[in-house]
Amino acid sequence: MSGSFYFIIVGHWLSTPPVFEMESLPAEKAESKDDHRHLNQFLAHAALDLVDKNMWLSNNMYLKPVDKFNVCFVSAFVTAGHMRFIMLHDIRQEDGIKNFFTDVYNLYIKFAMNPFYEPNSPI
Amino acid sequence: MAQCVQSVQELIPDSFVPCVAALCSDEAERLTRLNHLSFAELLKPFSRLTSEVHMRDPNNQLHIIKNLKIAVSNIITQPPQPGAIRKLLNDVVSGSQPAEGLVANVITAGDYDLNISATTPWFESYRETFLQSMPASDHEFLNHYLACMLVASSSEAEPVEQFSKLSHEQHRIQHNSDYSYPKWFIPNTLKYYVLLHDVSAGDEQRAESIYEEMKQKYGTQGCYLLKINSRASNRASDEQIPDPWSQYLQKNSIQNQDSYEDGPCTITSNKNSDSNLLSLDGLDNEVKVDGLPNNFRAHPLQLDQPSDPSNSIDGTDHVKPASSLHETKKGNTGIIHGACLTLTDHDRIRQFIQEFTFRGLLPHIEKTIRQLNDQLMSRKGLSRSLFSATKKWFSGSKVPEKSINELKNTSGLLYPPEAPELQIRKMADLCFLVQHYDLAYSCYHTAKKDFLNDQAMLYAAGALEMAAVSAFLQPGAPRPYPAHYMDTAIQTYRDICKNMVLAERCVLLSAEILKSQSKYSEAAALLIRLTSEDSDLRSALLLEQAAHCFINMKSPMVRKYAFHMILAGHRFSKAGQKKHALRCYCQAMQVYKGKGWSLAEDHINFTIGRQSYTLRQLDNAVSAFRHILINESKQSAAQQGAFLREYLYVYKNVSQLSPDGPLPQLPLPYINSSATRVFFGHDRRPADGEKQAATHVSLDQEYDSESSQQWRELEEQVVAVVNKGIIPSNFHPTQYCLNSYSDNSRFPLAVVEEPITVEVAFRNPLKVPLLLTDLSLLWKFQPKAFSGKDNEEVKELVTSQSAMIGTEVISEFLINCEESKVARLKLFPHHIGELHILGVVYNLGTIQGSMTVDGIGALPGCHTGKYSLSMSVRGRQDLEIQGPRLNNTKEEKTSVKYGPDRRLDPIITEEMPLLEVFFIHFPTGLLCGEIRKAYVEFVNVSKCPLAGLKVVSKRPEFFTFGGNTAVLTPLSPSASENCSAYKTVVTDSTSMCTALVSSASSVDFGIGIESQPEVIPVPLPDSVLKPGASVQLPMWLRGPDEEGVHEINFLFYYESVKKQPKIRHRILRHTAVICTSRSLNVRATVCRSNSLEDEEGRGGNMLVFVDVENTNTSEAGVKEFHIVQISSSSKHWKLQKSVNLSENKDAKLASREKGKFCFKALRCKEKEAATQTSEKYTFADIIFGNEQIISSASPCADFFYRSLSSELKKTQAQLSVYAEKQSTEDAVRLIQKCNEVDLNIIVLWKAYVVEDNKQLILEGQHHVILRTVGKEAFSYPQKQDPPEMELLKFFRSENTTVSSRPSVEQLSNLIKTSLHYPESFNHPFHQKSLCLVPVTLLLSNCSKADVDVIVDLRHKTTSPEALEIHGSFTWLGQTQYKLQLKSQEIHSLQLKACFVHTGVYNLGTPRVFAKLSDQVTVFETSQQNSMPALIIINNV
Repeated sequence: MSGSFYFIIVGHWLSTPPVFEMESLPAEKAESKDDHRHLNQFLAHAALDLVDKNMWLSNNMYLKPVDKFNVCFVSAFVTAGHMRFIMLHDIRQEDGIKNFFTDVYNLYIKFAMNPFYEPNSPI
Repeated sequence: MAQCVQSVQELIPDSFVPCVAALCSDEAERLTRLNHLSFAELLKPFSRLTSEVHMRDPNNQLHIIKNLKIAVSNIITQPPQPGAIRKLLNDVVSGSQPAEGLVANVITAGDYDLNISATTPWFESYRETFLQSMPASDHEFLNHYLACMLVASSSEAEPVEQFSKLSHEQHRIQHNSDYSYPKWFIPNTLKYYVLLHDVSAGDEQRAESIYEEMKQKYGTQGCYLLKINSRASNRASDEQIPDPWSQYLQKNSIQNQDSYEDGPCTITSNKNSDSNLLSLDGLDNEVKVDGLPNNFRAHPLQLDQPSDPSNSIDGTDHVKPASSLHETKKGNTGIIHGACLTLTDHDRIRQFIQEFTFRGLLPHIEKTIRQLNDQLMSRKGLSRSLFSATKKWFSGSKVPEKSINELKNTSGLLYPPEAPELQIRKMADLCFLVQHYDLAYSCYHTAKKDFLNDQAMLYAAGALEMAAVSAFLQPGAPRPYPAHYMDTAIQTYRDICKNMVLAERCVLLSAEILKSQSKYSEAAALLIRLTSEDSDLRSALLLEQAAHCFINMKSPMVRKYAFHMILAGHRFSKAGQKKHALRCYCQAMQVYKGKGWSLAEDHINFTIGRQSYTLRQLDNAVSAFRHILINESKQSAAQQGAFLREYLYVYKNVSQLSPDGPLPQLPLPYINSSATRVFFGHDRRPADGEKQAATHVSLDQEYDSESSQQWRELEEQVVAVVNKGIIPSNFHPTQYCLNSYSDNSRFPLAVVEEPITVEVAFRNPLKVPLLLTDLSLLWKFQPKAFSGKDNEEVKELVTSQSAMIGTEVISEFLINCEESKVARLKLFPHHIGELHILGVVYNLGTIQGSMTVDGIGALPGCHTGKYSLSMSVRGRQDLEIQGPRLNNTKEEKTSVKYGPDRRLDPIITEEMPLLEVFFIHFPTGLLCGEIRKAYVEFVNVSKCPLAGLKVVSKRPEFFTFGGNTAVLTPLSPSASENCSAYKTVVTDSTSMCTALVSSASSVDFGIGIESQPEVIPVPLPDSVLKPGASVQLPMWLRGPDEEGVHEINFLFYYESVKKQPKIRHRILRHTAVICTSRSLNVRATVCRSNSLEDEEGRGGNMLVFVDVENTNTSEAGVKEFHIVQISSSSKHWKLQKSVNLSENKDAKLASREKGKFCFKALRCKEKEAATQTSEKYTFADIIFGNEQIISSASPCADFFYRSLSSELKKTQAQLSVYAEKQSTEDAVRLIQKCNEVDLNIIVLWKAYVVEDNKQLILEGQHHVILRTVGKEAFSYPQKQDPPEMELLKFFRSENTTVSSRPSVEQLSNLIKTSLHYPESFNHPFHQKSLCLVPVTLLLSNCSKADVDVIVDLRHKTTSPEALEIHGSFTWLGQTQYKLQLKSQEIHSLQLKACFVHTGVYNLGTPRVFAKLSDQVTVFETSQQNSMPALIIINNV
């Protein structure tokens, strides 16, 4: 896992704020990418349109890379409740990402079970 | 893709039109120049044919051409330079901006409502210009010249000569190898001779004759006489003639400029001067368009700007004489074109074009097509098969195996101009130009195959492109649009041929076609694919179109739209198209706004801010930057620092623009306005040596609702006392500190010359420290004239008139990152009136990032350098405090209404006295009950005399100022400190056994009938404290009886001598904190003495037992306690003497030691008692040392009375509950009364304490209040068990009838009995067997009523043990006596006991019953006779 990743969970309404954001950069690139953090958001945000389109075309929750911008792939995972997990990654690694999504999904379900958690609010 | 004015079916034919060259003589040029037009320009508006045209195709089919347009242009001998084209395109785009009031479409997609301009005119003009400025290339012929117009003027000397000259020129240009550029369609170009005739100037006859000559020479088909300039130019203003040129000329300035360059052109290599000129030009243009001042490039905020478009043009070989430049510009800007042309002239030109097309051009094209067709047909059979055969022969099946590299190589394959493959392409192009798309398609298709076979990729791509377009344009659309042709073409152009221009054209066409078929996503993909690094402008435009594609989809992809808008905006900004960039970002902002994608939003805001700034839209810039800063941000500190600096910079520029305008409202730092606190008065003085100032109120104190409630009660108490028990209706508790909890509904009152401190709570939300400099309050003041006239005009003064109000300025105030900090700002009112504090004003700045860490930067001087000065802006922030929500009336409850909050609007009133109180030698730790003397100093620091000083406290038993009888109060405030706090008298030691008696009235000590013992007037020497005067008074303190830490609140109340209407009184608060530790524990009981020795016939004889225990745990170094004196204080009783004289004369008590004292108490003499008023107390002192402490003097009596009154208060509260019941039964009360005593014991002690190797003697006193006979009383309050939680009862308790009978115990105290007998009795039993002993039974009535007594002597053998005592005795004589005892009467009864044996006997067998004699009901109870009365009978 040497590439950089950006993971974001978006609520199922069109205009809800992101629920959760996380960035993971390889150590040597951590500094240099600092000023491009907004780009990740732009990409993930733009990819939502394609996610919304693709999720009706597939039976799986995992949608494979839905979008691509320069070297950056956008993979997505849509839960049953239409929470959208979006992952930006610059290396192709479908299995790993799929496993990651599944793990996060499990965690998310546990989290969402918390009666004090209001759906779509930031985690 | 945005909507366009032209449909695609119009667009494509218009983009590919037959090109005609124009070659003018100088004279002809001069003629047209009169209209500020070149010849080509002159024709331009009329170049579209209004009628249909017919043409025959090679198969002799009639073909109809609609809306044919031709393009006439002056011959340019140089191919247009890419740089020039780029500049042109740039100008075109930047010149086309969205109109101000453009109606935007509202698109609703999901939750988004977006305002999007549906049209993109800049894109359309870009596309048009782009297509027109395509350089002609070798592989296609669409924009090669088909014909050439040779134009000469009739005014020339030799027009015919001129024509042949021109013809030669044309020939030379076409066929001479010097000129590679203007491409010609076919070798023998159609030449069309035009004679230009100036009607107003020239001789018409001559023109006609020349025309005739021409006709003969060139044939009627090949020449034309065009008459123009029918009127003189100076008549221009007379009639309004439409100006059809304006819309064309603006865009096509390249032709315009180039029009000066026909003829021989000198190519200067001096690019420097050239580009200088250009850049000048460009700059001027910039100014015109953007309104930017010239120095904008030096701006530090400059974005990642590419070099300015006007500078970037390198390799432009145009030579522009300065004059012509100016002329062009004039032509571009203001001058009316075609000023010499009438409408007839317009018609003539139109007619000319028509004629030219019908007679000249179209027959020429028709002929050419036919020729080409024939050539092809003839060659088809032979050459093609031969060609392909040879090809097969040589290359075999290798073709498909060719790698990309080889393909690339072959892309450079060039056919000679006359190659047969090109002939078919030529024919296709011709057909295309005349809108014969069927034929064109088949030709392109064939050509494509040929080219592909030859691996001539460039040619193939061109053929593919045109094949696709013509397939699309075919009427009736027999075949679907071959999009893959286009894709291949684009790919080939881009990847193999590296020809972006052609690829771009291809994409533009294809995207337009796809759009017309609603294939938006394909169009978007195409457009995006072509974005590349080499041209920012193109990328920007294409991305923007792609964005429009996304939004136009059936289900709009809003976020894709936004993303591509951002990308487009970025590219625009790189291309220097700032306005477009800003527009793009703004449009995208609609999508991102408020959706929580904060990083993205910040970035957009930041960019908008910068772009707005560079475009001088400062307000927008400020608001955009403001947006970034005020939101909770995830940005890093460095980023925020950058944001902040830019914001400040922009703000500074804004404020510089309008230096006199109102101060801007700054967004930073946040102000929590509801946390604003206002404090009236001076700051607290720090403790000065032994002097300790009253704590009063200060901003450092936290608000505590409990204590503030306490203070309010205290103030109410004292006010009630001052106003004779009634609290005036307009009374409001004085508030010195206003905060969000205090009652702020009234205007607070401030006193003139006393400072007003406002505490403002700032919060810095950023990760960057903020530096506020010159921070001060902003206020408004309405002074009130001293004359007091009501009609004086109200002046309004805003800010800093120091004569009225002095303002304190905090020069530097640093708030670290994400810190909350309060600033205290002061105002000094010097004038009475109404003050309104509006807000704060400050310079907002920041400090260098490196200095941010934990307050290093806070060092003054570190950042006073030019940095912080240069980067700070002056602004204000208002303090607006919302009052509490109202909830009283129904209306208020149902709606949301807020009350006023006036804490920032004080009224400045006239001078008031101001008291300061200092405590001298005020202890912090005491033993319980310890008495300590301290001094209080009262200082009047104002200029008004002060009166009516009172102090009120919840704990009046804690302190005293001494009694107000001068005799009793030692008036020596500066007396030596070693002296005892008490007033003492040296006595002889014998006085230990007998009590010294004195008396004092409680009224003397301020404990009267008044119900408010808490309010104590301070005994000022002459009740008024003059301005500046100070008074020291002694004050005794007594440690509270409970151990622990005590907070004792004092409230000093004072008034002005002169009555003020607004402020009646002022107060000063003090909270003393005292820590007490355990000392002695005194418990005492009183019981009746049975002895009757000293009876003086009154029955008032008591024994008092006092147990004293040293409970000190000696950590305070207390060695031992000495009981020095025990005093009694009572209205009716006094201690007489000590009973148990122990050897321990000093009554020492070591740690945990207990001592017991026994005293005899007597009732005071009747006569004394009679003279005593009910408030007169008798003090009796029993002394164990050699000094008498006068207990009836201060401070001993003071504390005694205080503790008594507080005790009384407690018991009264309890008693009042039972008051009714007791009043019912008079008898019961009588009975009870005889049980009551009111004896109070005061234990005075000394404690020897070792502290710092010094022995100190502490003194103290404890009080025990005895009320009931036989009941133990304590000096310290008994700990009460917390009441058990009562069960909730749902029924009425049944036993509501409390028996009114007095208790057995109470009754048994009615009669006191005592037996008097010899302790041992010797009797000779051998002489006389019966022994008779006389016994006296004394009965004494304790009550004040008559009592009937029955004495029963009958034996009652209650227990078997009694029998065991062998032989009992018997009473002789009367066994029952009935007596009546008067009040306090003593009766003695002579009894005889008879014994038969020796032994020890208990004589205490008589039973006594008593009842109140006047009562019908008998409460008959046996009187207690608990004490055994033993007698020893001896035999002698």
